[in-house]
Amino acid sequence: MKIIVCIKQIGHVYARTGMEPSERFLTPEDKIYMVNPCDEVALEMGLRLKESLGEGEVTLLTLGPIIAESELRRCLGMGADRLVQIETDQGLDPWRKSFFLARAIKEIGASLILCGKESLDRQSGQVGAYVAHRLGLPFVSAVVSATMNPGTGTVEAERRAGRGVRELIGCSLPAVLSVDMGLEVRLPKFEDKQRALSAPVEKRVYPEEGDPARTLVRAIFPPRPRPKNVFTPDSRLDAFERIQQLLMGSRVEKKGNMFTGSVDSQVDGIVSFLKEHGFAGKGKE
Amino acid sequence: MLTSFDVLLIAAAILILGIGLARRSSLWLVGQEEMRTGSLSALAAYLLGSGKILKRPLQGSAHVFVFWGVVLPALIVLVSQFRPRLPETLSNLLSLFLDLLGLAMLCALVFMLVRRWTKSEEAGPKRTAVPALTLLGIVVTGFLAEGTRLSILGAGFSWQSPVGSVFSSVLPASPLLMQVMIRLHFFAVLFLIASLPFTFLRHLVAGSLNVYYKSRNPHGQLRSLSLESDYPGAKRVNDFSWKQLLDAEACVSCGRCEENCPAAISGKPLSPRKVVRSIQEQMQAMNGTVTKPGLPLLNQRISDDELWSCTTCMACVEHCPVFVEPLDKIMDMRRYRVMGEGALPAEAKATIRSLLLYKDVYGKGIAHRTDWAFNRGVPLLSEEVEVLLWVGCSGAFHPRYQETARAMVKILKAGGVRFGILGKEELCCGDPARRLGEESLFLEIAQENIRRIKERGFEKILTLCPHCFNTLKNEYPSLGGSFPVVHAAEYIADMIRLNKIALKYSLPAKMALHDPCYLGRGNGIYKPLWFIANAFPGVTFFELPWNRECGFCWGGGGGRMWLHEKLGMRMNLLRAEEVVKSGAEVLGTACPYCLTMLEDGIKNLETGKPAKVMDLVEIVASSIR
Repeated sequence: MKIIVCIKQIGHVYARTGMEPSERFLTPEDKIYMVNPCDEVALEMGLRLKESLGEGEVTLLTLGPIIAESELRRCLGMGADRLVQIETDQGLDPWRKSFFLARAIKEIGASLILCGKESLDRQSGQVGAYVAHRLGLPFVSAVVSATMNPGTGTVEAERRAGRGVRELIGCSLPAVLSVDMGLEVRLPKFEDKQRALSAPVEKRVYPEEGDPARTLVRAIFPPRPRPKNVFTPDSRLDAFERIQQLLMGSRVEKKGNMFTGSVDSQVDGIVSFLKEHGFAGKGKE
Repeated sequence: MLTSFDVLLIAAAILILGIGLARRSSLWLVGQEEMRTGSLSALAAYLLGSGKILKRPLQGSAHVFVFWGVVLPALIVLVSQFRPRLPETLSNLLSLFLDLLGLAMLCALVFMLVRRWTKSEEAGPKRTAVPALTLLGIVVTGFLAEGTRLSILGAGFSWQSPVGSVFSSVLPASPLLMQVMIRLHFFAVLFLIASLPFTFLRHLVAGSLNVYYKSRNPHGQLRSLSLESDYPGAKRVNDFSWKQLLDAEACVSCGRCEENCPAAISGKPLSPRKVVRSIQEQMQAMNGTVTKPGLPLLNQRISDDELWSCTTCMACVEHCPVFVEPLDKIMDMRRYRVMGEGALPAEAKATIRSLLLYKDVYGKGIAHRTDWAFNRGVPLLSEEVEVLLWVGCSGAFHPRYQETARAMVKILKAGGVRFGILGKEELCCGDPARRLGEESLFLEIAQENIRRIKERGFEKILTLCPHCFNTLKNEYPSLGGSFPVVHAAEYIADMIRLNKIALKYSLPAKMALHDPCYLGRGNGIYKPLWFIANAFPGVTFFELPWNRECGFCWGGGGGRMWLHEKLGMRMNLLRAEEVVKSGAEVLGTACPYCLTMLEDGIKNLETGKPAKVMDLVEIVASSIR
């Protein structure tokens, strides 16, 4: 039984701490390179199916330049047998992506293709379905658990149908399943991790022809500043800058001084503040 | 005096002793190699000072009397073979001393036997009664022989041997009886010598060896692990080092570890004594053969629940009278379970994942690491400074502990200290990964940290969290990063002592202290905390019942901060009850985990006026304006 798991490497933006509008308020630390969480769960499902059958091969298939190598190697350490990379360096739309993936899958050959339900960065959720379309295979989306029946050549998949409903679907093999979050992803063993460090990456290059892109991304932008990160603007700035700060959504915190501690210390603090800023005279002390 | 037959018997007894000890030592010599240097002076000091055994006064003094009751007469008998000439008064005094020592030993032995008779198997195991009975036989026959001798002499009461005189008053003046008693005494001694390796008394040898080879590192320093072997950590009993197995051999199951273990007290399945005992049993079952196939796995006897109940608070290590370290065995087994089999509790996987991706335990990410310091004028470390403030994950991310980090900045500024933080360059110190058994991740993070710290110029590193402190101070040097590290409590105590800061505002409250494990037991830092607590004007300072070495862990260490507490009672509630009962109004501590667990515990009890839990750093900051 051969299983292919399509795995996407993403640059996950988890923060927006920059100050420069031209860089979309991003700093290099705001981004981490990782493997798409859904795809990791898909790998876990593939590994469990392989273990339940007692035999088989799990191949990781990734598209584009390798940006999260340590994470890919960690996935190999979890138990995948080989890693195949399709080399391409252009930005692709889902339809073009499915072209390359389907072509590699055809070459490698597999009776089950697993992929994540959607990626954390773009969340189009289309690639799996397009791959199934191109290969002419049945497609089940949002699968949370699956059992294989090699005797009859079918797979039984439980999928999330929304609103807490689960659907149990029987499907003939070969098939494409897109996997939703749910399974607990395993921790790689140390020896497997070490072995994965030196595992080869099989590279495949395909000519650039094929179908042209059918959709085009015109712009990527946040529609409005993230409301949760907006703090009171600095009152010492003028109105224009304060509005600018609000629009930018940058983190500006009012520089205040909170007096805590005993009553004595609070009183002393307030008095010295008033004196420092000229609100109160020197007094008669 | 001695016939040649006697000499033969003595030789036979010593031969049996030698063979027995050699066979016992083959049990623990199968362990892995480990470099250890012994210290005779430490052993001598330990034996003369009776070590930690007197921490339990009653049983401890009984043990001391029996120990010296065996050692001193044996020495005197040995010396008397050379017939030294002593002045009469001295020999009389010696006789009186030995007589009284014999009486004390007799009482001690009776006390021990009564304990074994009346207490449960756990408190006084029945198998240990055999050597005690033998010793009792030796003492009683000795007194009977002495009594008959005095009775034959007919001297009446003599002050040199009061006990012997009492015996003589009821004994007949029969030379035959005296001879019989002397022979019985002699045979009992021979039996004791020959049976020593086969009874519980072998702790005389194993315990002394263990003290001789005891670790001289701080308790907080974890054994480093070789990642070169087939699998990391301890899977089978022979994966332990010889010293770790000697530990198991030296254990007499006295139970002091269990009495002080927060996991055992709160009703969790872990008992350090049982862990060491299981290792000892497996060691005996293995019988010194390494190559035997199908060796049982350690986790057949020691369950995961036991391993993950440990908070690595080091109470067991601190309280063991013969320096057995159950903690490093528990950690080695954890390491195998995690790195060898990937069997980490599910809830901790998220923590490991956060550490891997975001390099902090809270999963907030490097980008948010300086949020706590935003607009508060905290200098980033650029040029050479006095102090590198190591904020730690808790100081940087935990909303409650961020206040402490800001308080520390306030104190440093008030004291005019030139300091800086690493800011976004700082990663987690790696302690949670290491304590959760993920040694490879720890190494990765620690080496990166060391590389970054080395690029900077500073005089010392100041840490807020005792766990960071312990890792930076004790565990980084073996990875090539030796830095001078101080904990905030030490540093602030010094600042107060040198009058760099003055505690201006009083703290009119009843205050108690909680000693964090990784400062106190781990690194022996108790005094600075006391000093700071007593330095506040107007404070009424008092001690909690569980203090200092007995400080009770709240259940946050050893990665337990990121695990569910499903078994037994909750440790922090147990401790919170103690605090509430004591009537403390303010409870000072110096550890982010303690602070979190304490606050939760005390709030959970829902008492009318809950004690206020504060880090000492915060209290000092509020007292200096």
